[in-house]
Amino acid sequence: MLMARTSRWARNGTRNPSSEMSAVQLALETAVVTSRESVAPGFWRVALRSPRIARAAGPAQYVATDFPGPFAVRLPLGIWTVTDDEFSLLFREWGERTAQLSRVMPGMEISVIGPLGNRFDIPEAGTRATIVAGGIGIVPFWLLGKTLIEAGVKTRAIIGARTKSMLAGVDELRELGLAMEICTDDGSAGEKGSVIDILRAHGATDMLYGCGPPAMLRALCEHANAAGTMCQISMEETFGCSMGTCWGCVVPLRRGSAQATGYPKAKEEQRAHDFSRVCTDGTVYSAADVVW
Amino acid sequence: MKTVDTKIRIGTATLKNPVIAASGCYNRGSEFGRVTDIQAYGAITIKSVTSQPRLGNAMPRVMPVPGGLLNAIGLQGPGIDYFLTNEAPNLASTPTAIIASVAGFSVREFADVAARMNGLANVVAIELDVSCPNVDREGECFAENAASIGAVVRAVKAVVTLPVIAKLTPNVTDLKPIACAAEEAGADALSLINAVRGMVIDTARTRPWLANGTGGLTGPAIRPIAVLAVWEVARAVRIPIIGMGGIETGRDALEFMFAGATAVSIGTANFRDPDVAAKINSALVDEASRRGFTSVSALTGLANPEFAGARVSA
Repeated sequence: MLMARTSRWARNGTRNPSSEMSAVQLALETAVVTSRESVAPGFWRVALRSPRIARAAGPAQYVATDFPGPFAVRLPLGIWTVTDDEFSLLFREWGERTAQLSRVMPGMEISVIGPLGNRFDIPEAGTRATIVAGGIGIVPFWLLGKTLIEAGVKTRAIIGARTKSMLAGVDELRELGLAMEICTDDGSAGEKGSVIDILRAHGATDMLYGCGPPAMLRALCEHANAAGTMCQISMEETFGCSMGTCWGCVVPLRRGSAQATGYPKAKEEQRAHDFSRVCTDGTVYSAADVVW
Repeated sequence: MKTVDTKIRIGTATLKNPVIAASGCYNRGSEFGRVTDIQAYGAITIKSVTSQPRLGNAMPRVMPVPGGLLNAIGLQGPGIDYFLTNEAPNLASTPTAIIASVAGFSVREFADVAARMNGLANVVAIELDVSCPNVDREGECFAENAASIGAVVRAVKAVVTLPVIAKLTPNVTDLKPIACAAEEAGADALSLINAVRGMVIDTARTRPWLANGTGGLTGPAIRPIAVLAVWEVARAVRIPIIGMGGIETGRDALEFMFAGATAVSIGTANFRDPDVAAKINSALVDEASRRGFTSVSALTGLANPEFAGARVSA
């Protein structure tokens, strides 16, 4: 079960994201907070000096954080920017632990395990790629955008949020030099409508990358599968252990998918799907594999 | 300073130290080995294996709550055939002893799966996860009934040579008669306690948060419930008790030892601190040493005057 699954092209022509288990060594590291700022109401950016993790981090990977406070399992957060020995986290205040993390100060130490999870695949130079992000689903796309640009992939991004004040991280993404289109549900910034509306209105692309709320991801996968476009999405679930031991964060995948358990099906089992641990076998999945 | 002997005995098995990884929190053992030295554990209890493959519950399956974690995973697993072919061979190279956890829905299932676990390389004991509904008795949980648990333990003891540990649920009116029934049926040790039943309601969606509705609460929130369970059962049985439920620190582990536990299991605390086992071992040795004891086992039952087990002299 824990054998390394190498990235490969599946029957349907989509690329199965490779498993974390084949990736670099994990680090359990004490990181020093170097900055902390509010980037939008309720959205925070915390930068950490954490050399081993910063040097190993890839697009869509995350860290499991722990910091002083009453007992809580580690808080998993996606890696936002990476520069030399530092990486940053961009997160929305939601619940007690994110509120506590939003109050850290430069110089404080927090414990981080990472980089966890698998990565988005990077296509060949000259390929046309489109990033589709909803709300805080923007997080994996700074590092993906940077990696795609450096790889010579023609990349544009469609970034959506409910309303203007919830568009966090857009400025920093723009600084990468990505071609970007913005939309909001209420039209308070950019076009009025959803990222999927904008995606449909635009021309063909070779590769789609998505992260955001489940309804958006489902619509994105259905669009990609209908159009026959390769698409990888980074999924979110509530994690227990963040390490692949507790089976609390599974997502249903088509039976036979490279990232599913591959366990046999019980005789009396009515459900046709298999499961995959988002924390360890994901978070990146091929749109063709996910069962909605 | 005298050296402190950390070894403990569970039936005929000897563990190098009394700190065990709890079932369901360590899968097959290798995952946490990526960030910590799992040799710190005296033994690792693998996630329960059932007779048939199980897909488990729908999502969501976990919810962090103050002081712990609520979960309803639903025993997702490959079934014993796949386990023996694909996963058991890796247990031989796990750098510490393995306790094989077995779950079942009938007495026969328990006995069949336990018999096939017996003799696997590196497996030193079998733990019975008797918190499943009993299909032979209209879905009543095995661990809620003295007769049911007696039947399971007897059936398993008849077909295995390894020590058998019964893991009991706190979700009963009185644990003592159930613990005594397990002991009379031949259990070599008891694990106390399994998760405490609980629920979180999603007020925005007006329904329970977990897809399963109810879940099991683990973590520090349940620790006083677990310490009391160990305290009470330690007065009623003579077999060793493995205490668990919200242990995070050496001080927490000492509470369980003093209440009457011979060993302690660590579950949810691994999800915050992967190095927790080494810290607890070191704290237990320090405490034994501070008291001039030559063995950590001498800590067992110190706060429980009616401790019925075999006291280890200091």
